[in-house]
Amino acid sequence: MSNALTKTFDKKAENNQLKKVIPWVDIYENDDEILVHADMPGVKKEDVTVNVDNGTLAISGIRRMPDKGKAAWREFTDLEYVRKYAVPQSIEIERVEAQLKDGVLLIRLPKSETAKPRTVTIKAA
Amino acid sequence: MFSRINDINRMFGTMDLLRDRLFGEPDGPFSYHRGQVPSLPKTNLVENSDHFEIQAEVPGLSKEDLEIKLQGNYLEISGTRSIDSPEGYRVHRQERSANSFSRSFTLPDDVDDERVEAVLKDGILYLTLAKSETAKPKQITIN
Repeated sequence: MSNALTKTFDKKAENNQLKKVIPWVDIYENDDEILVHADMPGVKKEDVTVNVDNGTLAISGIRRMPDKGKAAWREFTDLEYVRKYAVPQSIEIERVEAQLKDGVLLIRLPKSETAKPRTVTIKAA
Repeated sequence: MFSRINDINRMFGTMDLLRDRLFGEPDGPFSYHRGQVPSLPKTNLVENSDHFEIQAEVPGLSKEDLEIKLQGNYLEISGTRSIDSPEGYRVHRQERSANSFSRSFTLPDDVDDERVEAVLKDGILYLTLAKSETAKPKQITIN
């Protein structure tokens, strides 16, 4: 038990030391949903967290490169991609979907029915 | 007198703030991208006793988008990235861009062009190139 706990703490401390990097993102919106596409090369599915809470979307992805041999040059290494966005409160959290494809994180944030634009018809008097 | 020093301090403080705003913290989350030619993927070259491994960041590229050429110890990786914006959506932010790139390397040693392996995984290209027999280190026994 205590061993597992120390392990968790160690892992946490280790992750805190990782360099934090902003991933490049594209954001799209239509009447039904918001889409976020973020470049995260080298991040595995199990190392991604997507969190929507109280109007904030927080994404994180940890990358660990296999480290064997001596590097003649190294332009990229282990890091944590982090980014936060304000999103409307009207996002339906239960229906948020995330997918990782070729190192790109694709997030789909559906809007709730009440938040969708509505055309108001004027009744004849 | 004190107030003047305070003023000067405040002025420097403002300058620091401005510098951080303009250029980001030296080690902050934006610094990773600084100085990078945006269209060129970052690469690593790792050397082992019997092979080289090249790693390249190529997010969003499928294997059809990449081309790898090897001639002697001259290696060229080129690729084209297309961004298909979904239709019928307003664009709020577009930081990722479509581009094509080409990077070439001269490997430190000759490689066996029959034994090259390329794997594309999670947006990173891993290229394993076996060294040719003559380039491998040899153990010499003393008589």
